[in-house]
Formats: sequence, structure tokens, C-alpha cells
Amino acid sequence: MRPRVRLTAHPDFPLPVDPERGAFSFDGRRIPFRERDTIASALYAAGVDLFSRSFKYHRPRSLYDGHGFGADVLVTVDGAPNVLADRAPAREGIDVRSQNAWPSLGFDLLALNDVVVPLLPNGFYYKMFHKPRWLWPIAERGLRRAAGLGRIDVSGRDAERRYEKRYRFPDVCVVGGGPAGLAAALSAAEAGRQVLLLESRPELGGHALCDLQCVTFREAPGATALADLDGLAAHEAVARLAARVSAAASIEVLAGATAFAVYEDNYVAAQRGSDLFKVRAEAVVVANGASDRHLVFERNDLPGIVTGRAVERLVCRHAIRPGARAVVVTAHAGGYRIARLLHGAGTAVAGVVDGRPDPGSDEAVEAVRRLGIRILPGRSVHAAVGRRRLRAVEVGPVAGAGRERIDCDLAVIAAGFSPQLSLLAMGRGKPRWDAERGVFRAPELPAGLYAAGEVNGPARTGRLLREGWDVGAAAAQGRPAPASARAPEDAVWLLPPDVDRGGSKHFVCRCMDVTRAEMRCSIAEGYDQLETLKRFTSLGMGHCQGKTCYEAAARILALEAGAPADEAEPTTMRPPFVPVSFGVLAGRAPHLRVVRRTPMHGRHAERGARFLHAGAWLRPADYGDAAAEARAVREGLGLIDVSTLGKLELSGRDAAALLGFLLPRPVDRLAPGRVRYHTMVREDGVLYEDGTTSHLEPGTYYVSTTTGNADAIYADMAWWIERRRLDVQLRNLGPALAAVNLSGMGSRDLLQPFVDVDLSNAAFPYMSCRSARLADVPVRLFRIGFTGELSYEIHFPAEYGESLWDWLLERGQPHGLTPFGVEAQRILRLEKGHLIPGVDTDALTSPFGAGVGFTCEVGDRDFVGRAFLARERGQAPRDRLVSFRLAPGTPVPDDGVLVFAEDRMIGRVTSARASPALGTGIGLAWVAASHAAAGTRLRIRLADGRDVSGEVIAQAPYDPDGKRLRG
Amino acid sequence: VSFRLTCPDCGKRHVNEFTFHGELRERPAPDAPFDRWVHYVRRAVNRHGMQLEWWRHAAGCGRWFLVRRDTGDNTRHESFRVGEAPRPPGGE
Repeated sequence: MRPRVRLTAHPDFPLPVDPERGAFSFDGRRIPFRERDTIASALYAAGVDLFSRSFKYHRPRSLYDGHGFGADVLVTVDGAPNVLADRAPAREGIDVRSQNAWPSLGFDLLALNDVVVPLLPNGFYYKMFHKPRWLWPIAERGLRRAAGLGRIDVSGRDAERRYEKRYRFPDVCVVGGGPAGLAAALSAAEAGRQVLLLESRPELGGHALCDLQCVTFREAPGATALADLDGLAAHEAVARLAARVSAAASIEVLAGATAFAVYEDNYVAAQRGSDLFKVRAEAVVVANGASDRHLVFERNDLPGIVTGRAVERLVCRHAIRPGARAVVVTAHAGGYRIARLLHGAGTAVAGVVDGRPDPGSDEAVEAVRRLGIRILPGRSVHAAVGRRRLRAVEVGPVAGAGRERIDCDLAVIAAGFSPQLSLLAMGRGKPRWDAERGVFRAPELPAGLYAAGEVNGPARTGRLLREGWDVGAAAAQGRPAPASARAPEDAVWLLPPDVDRGGSKHFVCRCMDVTRAEMRCSIAEGYDQLETLKRFTSLGMGHCQGKTCYEAAARILALEAGAPADEAEPTTMRPPFVPVSFGVLAGRAPHLRVVRRTPMHGRHAERGARFLHAGAWLRPADYGDAAAEARAVREGLGLIDVSTLGKLELSGRDAAALLGFLLPRPVDRLAPGRVRYHTMVREDGVLYEDGTTSHLEPGTYYVSTTTGNADAIYADMAWWIERRRLDVQLRNLGPALAAVNLSGMGSRDLLQPFVDVDLSNAAFPYMSCRSARLADVPVRLFRIGFTGELSYEIHFPAEYGESLWDWLLERGQPHGLTPFGVEAQRILRLEKGHLIPGVDTDALTSPFGAGVGFTCEVGDRDFVGRAFLARERGQAPRDRLVSFRLAPGTPVPDDGVLVFAEDRMIGRVTSARASPALGTGIGLAWVAASHAAAGTRLRIRLADGRDVSGEVIAQAPYDPDGKRLRG
Repeated sequence: VSFRLTCPDCGKRHVNEFTFHGELRERPAPDAPFDRWVHYVRRAVNRHGMQLEWWRHAAGCGRWFLVRRDTGDNTRHESFRVGEAPRPPGGE
């Protein structure tokens, strides 16, 4: 492996002078690199000819398209697999490793596939290992190990990596920073628009940066911004335009950002590193160009065979002499410019193989003639010769026999261009063949989406610039795009995709190693439509997703099927256009996640609370010991933050009517100052919610909801008010009010001295509410609670959150007041047998089976869920929610475990906890109605498989008569 | 879906700001036969083409409104305040 020559000067092109920057390692070998080198260009300059192994046959792979489309240059960089060496900049000290080779790149055992597999039919792994049946699991293991590209780093090193989402809202988004894209961006900016330009490479200019041709405008350029480019070489013209674009105040340039999808309504997705850009534009101009046409011939995948644009890039951007002796295969003037470029770079050009019978007298052709380079008209390449790399090519007539062998170490394929249509075609129909231009064209585009430049077919640079300018102006004004036009001299003479009848080494799909022989064999088996052929052979399903071969595959299929060329049709193009890492798509940015904290959150944190997520809310699960907290409520006094509850206030003429419609029990008989427990069902009669309705003042109702349903119920009320045009003033006080529940025997004694209402049982009994002042804070006071103790719920302005919390704790100290969390509350409510919707209910729960049928009054009145409840009321529930108690000393089952009677599964536990007050495990379970009677023994199967015994109890396990609650 | 929807109050916004609440359908009368209720609750029409449907600007102003939308490709849609939408036959 001798390093290749780095050029210092070129007669036709001003080479960049890039300083040496350092070195990195490739499979342990030291590779020096220069500024602006990619990993691939540095490897190529170092003389590396073997980058990786192909997917199926493990054939040697080297630099091919220079674009980073194909799988040829996939490497692992510092443990990250499938990095495109064509795109990734070389950096000091990185550890680059080859992929898909074992034990080593040079000696790859699986390369045996290359010898063996041609004897195996297509889809052999589906067919061969299925009989006898025991063979498949073994075969599959081996196949799986051999399949796939690269190895994922599972060390978790990137677990903390941040994936940002970024948003842009330009008037015009231009995809591609080549001649057409630059002109379009400038023209739209000149029309007064804000423009976003996405360019996937680090620098603007596109491939034209490597183009020798002169800009000539056939018509007047028509725009001052372009007029001065006439007569310049293309690379000079785009460099000038790029400078203007960078200087334009209303153009934002995102270099290194690759657009990978254009979704409906001009939503463009682009990635740059670990950032995902979501771009919403009024108009999108897709100008992402074309790449070299893929030619199929014998051994067309050998290292040493490269595309024309890859060669131009090697010379013009990286100042590398690409080879010692080259053959250029072409069908247009561009190939002659490449021959001239190679010649100037010191590569001996052994011949220009031109498919055209007469190359004509284009200036580029004349220049090659003057250099004395041999021109072989009417010919194309039939075969490559060599094993691990190219040694010669065999050329012959495009149609007819007779081959000539030409020794070379470089074969340049410059036979024309295939537009990169994915962004235009995805979700919008199939590209169609344009016989005049010899390319596939995008389907009809929706309003607001435009195409400009080579994506519409190749053309001289002057035309690309002009087209970009005109399309940019149309996009800026929202006009339909001007018709794309091409002159006869723009067209590239069309070589057949494969000049031979084809064989087992004619690679159509380089990524997946699909040959023309396999295609033919599969067609004979009946897979004669490209979509099915693709699925059967995996043609076009590799890393490049058909970007390289879509045109060749479609045309060869038409050829094989004997169909005319215009009926050739590529497979459906879908996002993403380039591989996107899952992190970019799915990675969550923690700082963008909504987190809701209660007004007293800081106090909980200071107290060392362990928080749990309840939807977006953070709630204290406990302050260290949930059981102790539960005991404190039973024996003394507890305080819980319930600010997360939904709090809705309804007033107005129709308030009672609306509640009567949304709740299964009307509120007409709810007197002012009284509170009622309610449930809510959906239209299908399924219980999904419970809460309290308070008649706060005559005509004003206050509804509390569960934390999780707060937003949905508010929205639902607003919906019915809107739909029925009701006279209801609905106020969502959830965020405006904090709330606490003071629970325990001492609660009345604590509060009474500081409130201006009589709290005695006679004046303020269980299930009552008052507006009051507590320590001069305006509060809503409710005598309700979930714990079964004498409790007061206090709702008050959120701005008093911390101060009232502190005040209560301070005053409560003599009473033994202890803050308690959600976990203690769950224990306490199970001791009272209270259900929690969503925990103890599911999407089929009827209120009758759940034991809350008393909240439903199914009469003639219309309300949400009435039709289904009326039907259920007449039927005995199949299952019932029951409280159960375990024998003392029995382990407490996990939530969700199964319940058996004899050997029959009859239900499941929904919640279970150890009760400090009762000294046993208690819980709620859904069981068959036949086993719901008090005293029934339940066999509960623990998660570890052991069974424990429980007993159904008729009433609440704790204080069944509610004496403490009502006391 | 990635299109922009028009809120009658706030204008054109990304569809992610809105919540979708199904096609506009007539709620059966309270005394309607039970199978009409089953049909109403369990079966959406799931039209391909223009459909009148409920939306809410949930991450914005909270407004409920109606949209007539081409469910085929989302390219055509028109928003209406409640009460200003054209009533389809059988609609609410």
C-alpha cells in the first residue's frame, strides 16, 4: 500500500492548499490527514484500497461514489458503527475500524460466500434450511450472526448524549447548496423573503466546486446577481455565489445539515449531528442534484472502479492523484473534462471510452484530442479484470462482439446522472421516465413544493443557475414553478444500463450484492414487478436505499421483461433519504419535557420527599417512611398536598343542567353548602373518573377531579357548553388554587381557633363546604377525605402555598401533625376500601360492578352514558370489586397478580398494601360475582408462584361504620 | 400528519398543537333503540374524503371548533366556529 501522490498544482484547476493536521488510526494503522480531509479521502491518499466488505458475499469494497450514498465506505469510528467515511471529517486520534470482516479485512472467512453463493439460489436461506424443521433455529442463529452491518456499542457510553430538536420557520426553505440552490436562495431573498438553505456538506457550492466547465448563459441571465458569472468556470461561479449567500442577511445557511424528508404541508426534517431540525416553510425548493449513473458490467464492484464525481472530488477538493493509469467510461462531454483533469493530475489516461458513435467536436472533446488521449467511440465497458482490485478493463462495442483489454488501475464511470428524487417523490407517487432527458423525473408536485437544478435532469451550469433563480423567484411569490426546460446539448447520450446479457458478477445493487443473474432468476420465478422483486432479492434495500441503483434496476427490469423504456418504474421512495440515527428521531430532550410542580414543591424537597410522576406532575410519594406516615394519620394528624386535583367552578343559569348531564346523578337536590361524591362514566357506561361536587353558594358549583383527568374534564365541559350553547361560566381553578387535606382526629381542634366559621359537627357536618378565612387567607373548606378520618380539605390561592403549608405545620406541631405522601394515602384509602379510577378500574369497568352504583340514578333524564347504564342496571354484574384481607403474617401480593378459586382463575388483585393499623395485608380485587360474597376464601398467586389465602370482606376493613369519619 | 390547521382564534398552527375529537356525529335521542347507541359509541364512519370533525386548540387557546378536512391527504381543510359550520345531513 503505497501512499498516493498529493498534488501541489494542476494546470486547469486551482488546487486547495491544505496543511497537514495529524493522524488517526485505521485498523491499527496510522493514517495522516490534512485539513478538510474526510476519513475516506485520507484513507485513499494513504493508499488504502480496502475499506470494508460487502454485505452478502463479503467482496472487497473501496471508495466508490465519493458522496457517502453507498455502503462501501461504512466504518466504525470510536465505537460508533456505520459512519460514512465519505462524509465524516478526519479528526486527530480517532479510532477507525473496518466493518463486516472476520477475522480481518484482508483475510475474511466469509468471503467464501463469494465462491459458494453463486451456486446457491436466491432466497436460499428461506428455502434451504426449513426441512427438517429442527434445522431452522440453528441455521437462523448462524445467519443472524453473519447478517447486519457493524456492531452497536452497548456499553452505554452515549446514554447521556443530548439530542436537540430545533425549529425553523422560513418563508422559503432551499434544500441543496449547489448552483441551482444558491441561485434560488439568492433570488428568494432578493424578493424579500426569509430563506433557510440546507446543505449536507460543510461548504456551499455542491459538486460544481469541482467542475471545470465554463458558465454560459444561452439567454440573458436576466438578473444582476447572475450576470457577472458569465464566462467563469463553474467552480469560480459557485464560489462567488456562495460568498453572496453567506453575506445575505435574510438567508440562514445550515451547512452540514442533511434534509432527509419533506412531509406534507412543507414540513422538512433535517439532521445535523445529534440535532433534528424541523422546518416549516411556506415554500420548499428541492435542489439536491443528481449523482453518477450506475453502470452494470462484469465485476463492476471491484475497488478501482469509481464514479466520475468521486474522481473530480479527489482531485479538486483533496489534491490527490487518483491512480496511475485510468480509463474513462462516458457518453457526454463531462467525461472528457474528467480525462483532462486526470491528465493534469499526472494520471496516464489510457483511453476515453465513449458510448456515442460520434463524440462530436465539443470543446472538452477537442481538448482531450489535443492532449493525444485515445478516444474509443461507440464503445462501453464490458468487464473489469482483477480479484482484489482492478487491473484492467475489457471494452467493446455498445452493441456487438469483440472486446479489447486495456490495463489500468482506475476505471472512471462518468456515463451521465441520475437525479436524486427521493425528497420530491416520497409520499407523492412514482417518478416517471423522461425519454428526452434520459432520466427519471419527479411526479407532479403539490403547490408550494418546487424542484430546481439537476434534480430535473442534468444541464449546463448556466442553465442550472438560471433555473434556480427563476424557481426561487416563483417560490418567493407563491407562483407555480416555471416549466423546466433543457436544450439538446444538455442531454446525456443514454448508455444501456448493462451492455451485455448479464451474469453472476454483474452487480445491480452494490449494497446488497444483488446481481443481474439473480434478478433474472427471480423474474423467472415470478417476481417480475420491481416491488416484489425488491422484497425477494433485497435489491435496493441496503444502506443507500436505491439512491445508487434505482435507475439501473428499473431499466434492467424493463429490459428483462421486454417492456419499453418509458414503462420502467422505480420502487416507491420513502423517508428517510439518508440514514438517520434513532437518537435523532426519538431522543428526548429532558429540558423540553413538561414538569408540573405544586406550589409547595420546594417544601417537600426540603423535607427529603421521594417524588413520583403523576402525569406531568411531581408528587411526594413519601417523606421516608410511608407506613409511619399512615400511622400518624390514624393516631394523630396528617397533612397532604392535594394541589394536583382538578378544580372547576361552574356558575350561570345552566350550570346545574350541565352537571346533571355529565354526571350520572343529578345535582338538583344537592343543597347549598353540601358536597357529594360523584363518579363519571363515558358514553359507553364505563367508569373512568370520580371526584366531588360541592354546591358552594346558591348556583355556584365546584367540582374536584382526579389529577389525571383534570384537563380532559375541563375540556369536555367546555365542549358541551360550546355544543349546546349553554349559559355556563366555567373557570378552571386548578392552577390558581393550592389544596391540602388535613386529616386526623385533631384536625377540628387545630383549625377552629383560626377560622371564621363554626366547625362543630352540627354546623359543619361530614360532606359540607364553606367559604371561609383561615389565618386571614381566603379558603374554600370541605369536610371530605379519602383517609377515613375526620378531615378538612382546604383550597386556597396558590400564592399562599408555602406560607399556609408552613403555618399549618407550625400550628400543628403540638397535635403531632405529620406531612404524608401519596403512598401513605394509598394505604389509608385501601383500609377504607376506596377505589381509584384507572388503578382499580379498567376500560370495561361498570360502576355497578365496582360497588359505586349508588352514584348512578338511571331514570328518564338524559345524561352521558345513560343508554349503556340503563342496560347494565338490569343485569347482574359478572365481576365485582371487593375488599379482601390476608391472614396476619402473610406476604402482601403485588398489584395485578391473579386470584384463584380451587384451580380456576376468577380474578385479579388491583391494589394491595400492608396495613399498619390492622396489622395485616389488605387490598382490592376484581373477582367473579360468584366469589364476591363476604367470607369467600381467595387463593392469591404471588409473583413468585406461591399462593396466599385472602378473605373477602363486606365492608371497609377499617372503621366500617365510619364513626371516625363523621365524628 | 404534519400539516398546519387554522384555529379560528389563533390562526394557522402546527397540527401538534391541536387535539382531534372525531367526526361530527349526531348523538342519538335518549329513547333511541339500543343498537343505535352501540353504533354511535362503537363505530366511526371513518370516511375517506371531506369530513366535518371536532378539533380543540389544546396546546393553545383551548377553543373547540369544527374542521372540514379531506381525510385522504390533508391538503384541503377549512375551520369553522361552532354554529358557523355547514351542517351535513345527519350531522348534529
